[in-house]
Amino acid sequence: MPLLGELNKNYKVINRSVPRIDGVDKVSGRAHYAADLKFVDMVYGGCLRSGHSHAKVTKIDTSKAKAMPGVLAVVTAADMPKPKSCAGPAAYMYLTDEVKYAGDVVALVCAETKLIVEEALRAIEVEYEDLPGVYTIREAMEPGAPVVHENYPGNKFKDSYFPIRKGDVEKGFEEADLIIEREYETQYIEHSYIEPEAVVCIQNPTDGVMTVHASAQNPFFTRRYIADVLGVGMNEVRVFQENVGGTFGGKEEGLGMLAARCAYLCKLVGRPVKMTFSREESFLESAKRHPFLLHYKVGVKKDGHIVAWEGSQIDNCGAYNNQTQFMNSRASIHSCGAYTIPNVKTDTFGVFTNNIHGGAMRGYSSPQLIWGQEQLIEEIAEELGMDPLEFRRINCLKEDTTNATGQVMHHVILPEIMEYTAKKTDYQRKHEEYKHQTNKHKRKGIGMSIAHRGCGLGAESPDASGAMAIANEDGTVLINTGLAENGQGLKTAFSQIAAEAIGIPYELIRFYGTDTQAIADSGMTVASRGTVMGSQSTRKVGYRLNEIMRGNALALGFFKDQEDVHDVSQIVLEDGFFHTTSKPDVKVPFKDVCNASLWTGRQMAAYEWFMPPACDQDHHTGQGTAFPTFAYGCCVAEVEVDMDTGYVDVVKVTASHDVGTAINPALVLGQIYGGIVMGQGYAVTEEVEVSKGKVRNQNFENYIIPTAADMPEMDVNIFECDDPAGTFGAKSIGEPATEAVGAAIINAIYNATGRRIRENPANLERVLLGKKLR
Amino acid sequence: MKKITLECFLNEEPVSLEIDENARLLDVIRDVAGLTGTKEGCGVGECGACTVIVDGETVDSCIVLAASMQGKHITTVEGLSKNGELDPIQQAVLDHHALQCGFCTPGFLMSAKALLDKKPDPTRDEIKMAIAGNLCRCTGYQQLVEAFEDAAKEYQKR
Amino acid sequence: MQRLSYLKPQTLEEALGYLNEYGEKVKPYAGGTDLMVQLREHTSKLKDVEYLMDVQYLPELRGIEVKDDCISIGCMTSHTEVNESPVLREHVPFLSIASSTVGSTQVRNKGTVGGNICNASPAADTLSPFVALNARLTVVSVDGTREVLVKEAMEKAGKLKFAPNEMATRITIDRLDGWHTAFIKLGRRKALAISRMNCAVALKLEDGVIADARIAPGCVFATPDRVEKAEELVKGQKPSAELFEKAGLAVSEEMIARTGIRWSTEYKKPVIEALIQRALCRAAGLPED
Repeated sequence: MPLLGELNKNYKVINRSVPRIDGVDKVSGRAHYAADLKFVDMVYGGCLRSGHSHAKVTKIDTSKAKAMPGVLAVVTAADMPKPKSCAGPAAYMYLTDEVKYAGDVVALVCAETKLIVEEALRAIEVEYEDLPGVYTIREAMEPGAPVVHENYPGNKFKDSYFPIRKGDVEKGFEEADLIIEREYETQYIEHSYIEPEAVVCIQNPTDGVMTVHASAQNPFFTRRYIADVLGVGMNEVRVFQENVGGTFGGKEEGLGMLAARCAYLCKLVGRPVKMTFSREESFLESAKRHPFLLHYKVGVKKDGHIVAWEGSQIDNCGAYNNQTQFMNSRASIHSCGAYTIPNVKTDTFGVFTNNIHGGAMRGYSSPQLIWGQEQLIEEIAEELGMDPLEFRRINCLKEDTTNATGQVMHHVILPEIMEYTAKKTDYQRKHEEYKHQTNKHKRKGIGMSIAHRGCGLGAESPDASGAMAIANEDGTVLINTGLAENGQGLKTAFSQIAAEAIGIPYELIRFYGTDTQAIADSGMTVASRGTVMGSQSTRKVGYRLNEIMRGNALALGFFKDQEDVHDVSQIVLEDGFFHTTSKPDVKVPFKDVCNASLWTGRQMAAYEWFMPPACDQDHHTGQGTAFPTFAYGCCVAEVEVDMDTGYVDVVKVTASHDVGTAINPALVLGQIYGGIVMGQGYAVTEEVEVSKGKVRNQNFENYIIPTAADMPEMDVNIFECDDPAGTFGAKSIGEPATEAVGAAIINAIYNATGRRIRENPANLERVLLGKKLR
Repeated sequence: MKKITLECFLNEEPVSLEIDENARLLDVIRDVAGLTGTKEGCGVGECGACTVIVDGETVDSCIVLAASMQGKHITTVEGLSKNGELDPIQQAVLDHHALQCGFCTPGFLMSAKALLDKKPDPTRDEIKMAIAGNLCRCTGYQQLVEAFEDAAKEYQKR
Repeated sequence: MQRLSYLKPQTLEEALGYLNEYGEKVKPYAGGTDLMVQLREHTSKLKDVEYLMDVQYLPELRGIEVKDDCISIGCMTSHTEVNESPVLREHVPFLSIASSTVGSTQVRNKGTVGGNICNASPAADTLSPFVALNARLTVVSVDGTREVLVKEAMEKAGKLKFAPNEMATRITIDRLDGWHTAFIKLGRRKALAISRMNCAVALKLEDGVIADARIAPGCVFATPDRVEKAEELVKGQKPSAELFEKAGLAVSEEMIARTGIRWSTEYKKPVIEALIQRALCRAAGLPED
């Protein structure tokens, strides 16, 4: 049961909490974010949003806006050569006159100042013809419901359908002593990164290259939209990723749309253009965490073994597709939780509605699923009269068991993590004791959840990446890769990985923001794949540079006085010095070899590509290998519930995670602390309230995320193991950190109140009344 | 729009700035004075990313009318480090890895600075309340609170 | 934000002159914490505003004065100043507590008690203690000075019963020396929260009996008020949880009598009862659980 440090991994640079590479810039205020940039002659752009959930624009009059002094351009769908975006099936519109949700944009303005943009937007007169809409998952699936996209009858997004067929679920139900059926429903969640989306575009008047500085989660992804809207080659667009003020999955499509509109205006007016979202616009157009309607039917034997698991997992896609198909692939693979069950039959798909779209958000379906599944597990245990920990013990994934896709699981430390966490929190005793509380006003509760998560992209899409390393004559090294810093510390972790592999100190490495003209696309920085898979190419290129430089050291005669040294394998590069295996005390500085290499024309840079072994699932049954490996976690939450008001005080959260190898333990801690508090908001206060497609809360005064005063006491336990799949044995942590927290909290609330809340979040009204008001 | 002259002290330097009458302090700091360390996160005084110190007290500069700042002493994140040396609060945030995306960081630094200047020995709860007007979505606040406790020890020595 | 001109009167006379001249077109700017947000959001009540009048230089709006039978607080006094004022902590502790729950440190540093009242939001955190303290606004104009009870100053949410040329300068509250007070706020989080509901109570105890009482619930009426029925119910009685439960019921009955049964009543009724009972217990020094 190895906690961090107990495995003695013997690394030189990784596995240590080195300072963040961008730390000084960020504490001094000099770190630039896209909205901070200013260029000569720069002007501003803005969007007019419909505010209607489903409507046709019958008339749009821009004449007043166009006549205002300082207005440079007013654009409507009719003016735009290519209003539809490149985002695949049910693609977004850069501009539209057929409104499918309230955030749709019907006009763009470009003007000399922000104030004039605002005034011009208000001067545009639009008339709409409202159309009947559908808003909830249930409404969308009703026969005869209004259709959001003509090519998706019944509003079912068929491309996002993923079945799991394992064993024989009917036979399983026949064997069962008890069958339980439950339904759970989750809400829209806003990413709530503190930096609103921002883009600045500048077109080079000579070669026409459009340069875009953006708060982009994935610069290459953003580039696709810009090339699309301009109708130019991707080699004519250059996206610089500026510091990103948080994203959590949210600065992908929405940012691409903003960048495309901005680039379009930039080309139109021939001047640099800045576009930033107000917080309200960010709420209106950025993707949200998909709401899920989860229905499960489970068959269980008296002895506690689950023998059949059937389920439907339906998500609300909103008006346009935003990665629902990829997310549902993951949702199907994880559709029976962290349990090994012989017979599984689940169906996962999305439906279109006239709402804000769901999209990628930290967890990518898992916070929703686990929130339902881990309540269900406790509901079943209760029906069986069994302790919920014992019930989990019987059914949870263990070494050599199979998951929902029939993949045989290895390096499974879930049972150990769970036992450790239960013991440390005195879970069983407290859980039993709290059930019998009689206090009238305040009651305590403790709740548990366990989780597993496929690391990286797995069978969803290719998990390949490329990286470059360049040694300079002074012994400093530049690395570059297509993966992007999102604030999580990717530059720091990747620099550590490169330093480890090259054999030089961390301080010699620099990794600047991603520039699409400087490196190849390495896929998106998503799915907690950055460190676990995305950095494999960085490790690989580090090893390659190490080999090259050792070869240079030999060829340049640095060890010529050691007569027995004639092969590169006899030379070691570590801690920034070369030495031979026979005389480790005779050291040659890295920079000396670098300097000599430059002046003798030797190679001192490398580029490597990494592609992990293929994952393969059968499309009809979902059976097969879904991920190279899985990360495991256990979360225990302790709450105090005010029985008079429904107020939930999350007092303590204990979170234990299998991270394989902690590349930078302080960064891992930061991920977990942040994940816990985000999970707290998910379970207790956060909900984007959508009423007939209209987002009611559009800013932080009524979209309630936890403050420092709300954070619980946090006890984090980092586990390591020897699983070779990820870079230096690392596993995912960004999303595992938050995915199981909400479930533990909701179980703790039940433990306190004895009332199940099957609709998230457990806000004041739901905890007191068991339902949402209105 | 009519411009007026705002004369005040920005990071201890007397400045004279030509500003719009209806300008927010935030816009004046960022666009007129060119100090972009102060960030805009929400525009309604909820997130605290735009926190600056005015005459010793923190304010959300996105909801302050710049014209009302005549003669005041305004400190932004750029005014924290002295002679190229980080303030102990900045150093503690670095040491504790108490930042991720960094966008909210300047606001937190200003709230902590105003607190420790007034009260160099705050309790943990006092720290939490002092920074409760600064939202952070990355860190979960834990390392920030620890950093400010650490920085307080340096402030107590002063 | 709309285009606005900035006025900076140096004397009250000058300020009243502007108000008289521009009427609805001028809006006093105190702390700005609500006003600046409303301007950003293009709130309809501000659409005719053309001038912001900065009232920070007017001495009449400053300072906390303790008098024989009352305390006078300048409208420009910030929530932080109220919270940190030793005299207010001594004489009206629940007002200090209520001030400490407003928004965030940043908002309390700028936001003023005068602004909090004159913004006329029924959810304003300081309204309940002010109403419990029989607070009176001093309202001035070129035509003269008048006093109006805070609870009678609001026409409806967001609107004061002020003439276009009037402004408030001071708030006068009762001194409740020796009384026991409590303020409880229910928000959705521990800081930076809007009151879902709140209540301010004050009890005068003599020989173990409640000699006098003030009970002011917040966010339950269209305009803030005390609940005399609840106050009468506890007067002359010995403090007990049972008694205070009845007081809570009296408050919820009054809420329903005034506002009718609404979609939110199912939640608000039991919760305001509990908050009132809890606040009274806290004021009387009885255990709350």
